[in-house]
Amino acid sequence: MVTLEKIAHLANDCKFDSLGPEAQVDGEKLSMLGEGTRHDVCASTFTPRSPDLPGICHSFTQDGRCVSLFKTLYTNYCSHQCNYCTNATNCSRKARAFTYTPEELASITLSLYRGNYIEGLFLSSGSGRNEDVVMEKIVETARLLRQKHAFAGYIHLKILPGASLSHIQEAMELADRVSINLEASSPSHMNEMSATKNYETDIIQRQRYIRDLMSKTDRKVSLPAGQTTQLVVGAGAESDLEIFKRILYEYREIGVKRAYYSAFSPQKGTPFESRAPQQRWREHRLYQMDWLYRIYHFHPREIGNAFDEDGFLENADPKMAIARQLMDTPADPNVASYGELLRIPGIGPRSAQRIVALRKKQQILGKADLAALGVRIKRAAPFLKINGWRDTTLQMWSA
Amino acid sequence: MRVPDSFLYYLSAHADCSERLLARAGDLTALDLEVLPDADARRLRKMVFEVQAETHRMKAFVRLKPLGRHVLYGYLKPKNRIANRVCDHFARRNPGTIIVLGNGRESWISLLCDGRLMREHGSGMTQTLERLASALHDSVEGRDTEVESIWKTYYDSQYCPERKNLRVFRQRMPRKDQDSAGLRLQESKENVTLEDFFAKI
Repeated sequence: MVTLEKIAHLANDCKFDSLGPEAQVDGEKLSMLGEGTRHDVCASTFTPRSPDLPGICHSFTQDGRCVSLFKTLYTNYCSHQCNYCTNATNCSRKARAFTYTPEELASITLSLYRGNYIEGLFLSSGSGRNEDVVMEKIVETARLLRQKHAFAGYIHLKILPGASLSHIQEAMELADRVSINLEASSPSHMNEMSATKNYETDIIQRQRYIRDLMSKTDRKVSLPAGQTTQLVVGAGAESDLEIFKRILYEYREIGVKRAYYSAFSPQKGTPFESRAPQQRWREHRLYQMDWLYRIYHFHPREIGNAFDEDGFLENADPKMAIARQLMDTPADPNVASYGELLRIPGIGPRSAQRIVALRKKQQILGKADLAALGVRIKRAAPFLKINGWRDTTLQMWSA
Repeated sequence: MRVPDSFLYYLSAHADCSERLLARAGDLTALDLEVLPDADARRLRKMVFEVQAETHRMKAFVRLKPLGRHVLYGYLKPKNRIANRVCDHFARRNPGTIIVLGNGRESWISLLCDGRLMREHGSGMTQTLERLASALHDSVEGRDTEVESIWKTYYDSQYCPERKNLRVFRQRMPRKDQDSAGLRLQESKENVTLEDFFAKI
């Protein structure tokens, strides 16, 4: 029989000291370095370890974005000259420089993790005076957490542009996920945005290092959640098609798990201060395009139909645009294949699976059956022909 | 597919679940529940999803405060019978630490020690904590205020005003689930404009 007293006694006997060191932090530093990462979008915490670490969103800010990681910079001192960034050397309204120590970061992470505020740590940084020194501190923080405090939570480490191969390997041995931000879609757009970063050697080459380390057979790195990347959208003049081509390369050649898009918003004091902010919807449409490739497995040639002649996506569902171009005849949900169902607007992977499962048991009789499976009928109806019946469209009248 | 194979567990944890309902659901498979379009299946499916959603939100929203060296406690008053599962989740997350979740009326205690999970169901939370403190002969001083202020500073630093989207905020942090977990992350007044007020009605 388990009693409260027995539980108390056992806990007393547990050798494991789960209490981390006391966290004492300068509030201004916490706030400044926290602000430095608010444009980093990646907040995913799911990682396929054994057992899986679930993705949990602990809270949301009033901009509707999830806060599930202690997302911070190691230092906001940076020697790069990126025209969109407030920490860059050419920013005229730079804030005071702050730097954490690995011990401080570890203790904040542990206390927040224990209190169930976060799932883990997301550590990015300015490059400091020398990126090797900062990379070493980033790795040191992860090592403290994993090895000294047996931290089982999620760790996402940023690889700084130009980081050395050995630091990348060390980071990969400790983290669940690492990432290096592309920021731009091509070397020429990168030159427009930053005078100091070399696109090919500082960024793409480091991504290849990560890919090669992951594919080694005798590897010590497991990196369960893989590598990701992020682009700033709309700071330069790149088109959506250019972004799409770059992303295809990233998925196929580099093997990134997923890409994030962050709409550009001008920051005070930076050379890009007077540029117009990018509309949020562009970010949204790029994500939809990304989903069509990654989750729906559309062929890039099909997705190509969604771009206009200048290579931009409209502010409308790209899947609808593709269906209008390519779907000549309506599909019957009772006979259409999974791939055909997936191409109908309003039907996603889950509802397509459900349709396939239901029609093995019984015939699909009407739109109400489909609605119960989660199909968005308003969008799907023009492309459906259920048991020979289809909705009347204006086109049919004009024909 | 969203209905898990263990859907009967979720169904039985629902506040409105009865023996008759369970017996009827016992004849169905997870796949039936997922796809069948009749009203009965849809109702059961909805109940399973409600319990799943509440379990998930409680794992996310409940905040734990330390009491001495061995205890973490937090407020929980769920609509469905999910407290045990949530408590076990926290015990697995913090091995060797006693987790106490509860409210004024009842409390749930879990501990993972040497790979064994132990559970206990007690009366009101204050009483349970007092009993534990005396059994542990431990100091009961709290460090919670400090962590809470670290969190507040950090949370505020993550907000991008130019992206304000209160609709999504309200949808992701429903008031009823925040109440069940004793969480207060409401819209702060200075961020709310007249426009938001009209969007609400």
